[in-house]
Amino acid sequence: MFERMIRSNWFVPITVILIILFLLPIAAPRFYVYILALIYVTALLAMSLNMVVGHGGMFQFHHAVFYGVGAYTVALMLTKTKLPLWVGFIAGPLVAAITGLIIGWFCVRLTRLYFGMLQISLGSLIWAIVFRWYSFTGGDDGIHGVSMPSFLSSLNHSYYFILVVFLICLVLMYMIFRSPFGSTLQAIRDNAQRCEAVGINVRLYQLGGIVVATFFAGVAGVLFVVLERSVFAEMLFWVLSLEIFIMCLLGGWFTFAGPILGAAMIVALRTFVGKYTEYWTLILGVILILVIFFLPEGVMGFFQDLLKPASKELSERGR
Amino acid sequence: MLQVEGVMKSFDGFMAVNGANLTVGKGEIVAVIGPNGAGKTTLFNLITGTLRRDRGRIVFKGEDISELPPYEICKRGISRSYQIVNIFPRLTVFGNVQVAVLSHQRKSSNLFRPAQNIAVEETRRILESVGLLNKEKSIAGSLSHGDQKILEIAIALGNEPELLILDEPTAGMSPEETSATMELVRRLAKTRGLTILFCEHDMDIVFSVAQSIMVMRYGQTIIQASPEEVRNNKEVQEAYLGGE
Amino acid sequence: MTFGGAELICQLLVGISRSMILFIVCAGLSFVLGVLRVPNIAHGSLYMIGAFATFSITKMFAGSTGFWIALILAPLLVALVSLIAERALFQHLYQREHLMLLLFTFAISLILGDLVKIVWGAEYKSVSAPALLKGSISLLGASFPRYNLFLILIGPLVAIALWLFTIKTKIGKISRAAAVDREMVGVLGINVSWVFAIAFVIGCYLAGVGGALVAPTVSITLGMDHTLIIEAFLIVIIGGLGNMWGALVGSLIFGITHSFGVLFWPQFAIVFPYIAVVIVLLLRPKGLLKSVW
Repeated sequence: MFERMIRSNWFVPITVILIILFLLPIAAPRFYVYILALIYVTALLAMSLNMVVGHGGMFQFHHAVFYGVGAYTVALMLTKTKLPLWVGFIAGPLVAAITGLIIGWFCVRLTRLYFGMLQISLGSLIWAIVFRWYSFTGGDDGIHGVSMPSFLSSLNHSYYFILVVFLICLVLMYMIFRSPFGSTLQAIRDNAQRCEAVGINVRLYQLGGIVVATFFAGVAGVLFVVLERSVFAEMLFWVLSLEIFIMCLLGGWFTFAGPILGAAMIVALRTFVGKYTEYWTLILGVILILVIFFLPEGVMGFFQDLLKPASKELSERGR
Repeated sequence: MLQVEGVMKSFDGFMAVNGANLTVGKGEIVAVIGPNGAGKTTLFNLITGTLRRDRGRIVFKGEDISELPPYEICKRGISRSYQIVNIFPRLTVFGNVQVAVLSHQRKSSNLFRPAQNIAVEETRRILESVGLLNKEKSIAGSLSHGDQKILEIAIALGNEPELLILDEPTAGMSPEETSATMELVRRLAKTRGLTILFCEHDMDIVFSVAQSIMVMRYGQTIIQASPEEVRNNKEVQEAYLGGE
Repeated sequence: MTFGGAELICQLLVGISRSMILFIVCAGLSFVLGVLRVPNIAHGSLYMIGAFATFSITKMFAGSTGFWIALILAPLLVALVSLIAERALFQHLYQREHLMLLLFTFAISLILGDLVKIVWGAEYKSVSAPALLKGSISLLGASFPRYNLFLILIGPLVAIALWLFTIKTKIGKISRAAAVDREMVGVLGINVSWVFAIAFVIGCYLAGVGGALVAPTVSITLGMDHTLIIEAFLIVIIGGLGNMWGALVGSLIFGITHSFGVLFWPQFAIVFPYIAVVIVLLLRPKGLLKSVW
């Protein structure tokens, strides 16, 4: 397997990118290090959404909830209990996945828009509780100043921690994407009815996909706390959910790495365009409309289509 | 192997299937015929669990399967293909069949092994037997209609069924494709020891391939008998053959 | 905690009056969903524009007349904005799948949100109710705001008007038919494109009416679109997609649970409607009344 990795034409560019990313904090200004780390966190979140939506074909409208639940879990454990750090780090994703299991259990009985609406209302319920429970979650103020141990004290240390976790998650998600489970999920997305007919318990697999994806969303939530030392109720608000949807759309639904590109685009747009004008969402809106009109497979999907004429033909037929 | 006994199904008061009876013995090739709207596809949907029957019994290998969901019925050895192409359009041809093979081998839930190394032999063998091996890397949605219909059958074979149900396997095919497909079906039945239940519009095909024919009209079974008997049956002639 | 009967009734009426604004907005959203199959997130932005426009128009006139004029003009302005959006953009996208439409309308809402910020700025705005509707009346010994009474009266009026529109007028009948069977309408030789445009504009007009009506009761602010639209979607779903009476039932459930939440456990008042929605969806996933989908 290792040999094949080296022979693959992706090996060199990926290695170069990785080396740059690892060396970057030495040379780059703090601000850029921070932005990059934020991109990793957001990208992980977007990819976890894409697992259910792009690969699984489920209308998980309110995915941000699990990000928020993961972040709040670790923030609450670190501020309210004396439990060691790693317990919180493990609990965050686990609680997110359990929340995903519970919400998903109700939702997989429905399809499409109805799935999405039940999901968004259950998610909003959690948001509403977090938003108002001042004594426990800090309500709309959130929780600030979550203290981190010394090995995560500086920004550079957090950067490396986030990068490593992000890369591990990336590898795991790629393995899942290519695994029988991943291809079965994609088959369900393409044609759920046929999947039932070849002996697949569709709801069970969808639920499995949701649990795995919400786990990774929880990991992203934990990483957010590592980076920001804070959590906000907005992390569970549906607007963020749509924002990550947009990242998947911009990058390309049906690709594996598309959401990374989408997340980078949004974070960069907000940071760098936001510097010049407070109306960056206007620009985002215009870009989105252009993408929807002209690149419905997303930027990454568009380039993949250029490389693979066969799949381009398909996407045109499919419309 | 399969007995359908007095099965009924209505949609909003319309009796789509109103007393269907069918017996399929092991190793047989059985055809269901009847005019459009006679309830053939509905009957197949009932057998495979896509729809749930209102009344009656469906027994497969001695077990009542009429309350089971589709995936459970599939696991017991019934696979089907569809009249209207029903494949996984974004997956490759290989991927389409592999989904079924993985499901059959109970390996679909494997999370971390790359799928490209699992069940490759079996999938390739099926593709070879239907003659699609040279197109295994194509995206299924880009195949020609005829090839997609063949892929339909290949997916159904992925579950290594004992009973294969084919809903108009040659619908929309050219005459050459049709005869090639029916030749394929006959060969599959022989080499794999499959039991086949199919429906088809082309009477020449039905009478040349089927060993037993069930005739339906208005959702009801008129008769099930050998091709000879069906051909000579008065009621069938009036209801169906004579009417054309 | 104990409450007198009068307080309970008052709170119930407050809930109903709030429901009326929700209903007017949701009826529009549901109409667009039913006829055009577009889950329009920008509906919330149009509601917000309605409220901001009401603020500006009210300020242009002295005394109470401004509000009444705004009540007419603000929704028309909203209708105009929606007509432009429909002709320029929406009409090319009706064939796309729901998810794309959802994201597309979200993009529109981002743009409209920033346009509102450019035109009106980021500060809070408030509109005072016209003199006629200021103050409270005494109701069973408790005081009840006159403006809320006005809302309770106007809600049924809008419902009846909309109902008459769909059963009496030609456009209404066509759009009802289009909601059930789109091909059919095309076959009849009707210009579907314009039917859709009119239906869209009517739906959005209602968002504007809702925005104008809500203006005196809340502080008008950026972000009010986001809070509203999520509630509106849930209401439309629990009522039954595209069903106007469903929108009414859903709004009442939402408004009344909220107002009783305020009474019994103010801190978690916003949680109650969501709980109600979840219960309804678990029991009747496709909504309480018949959905046109």
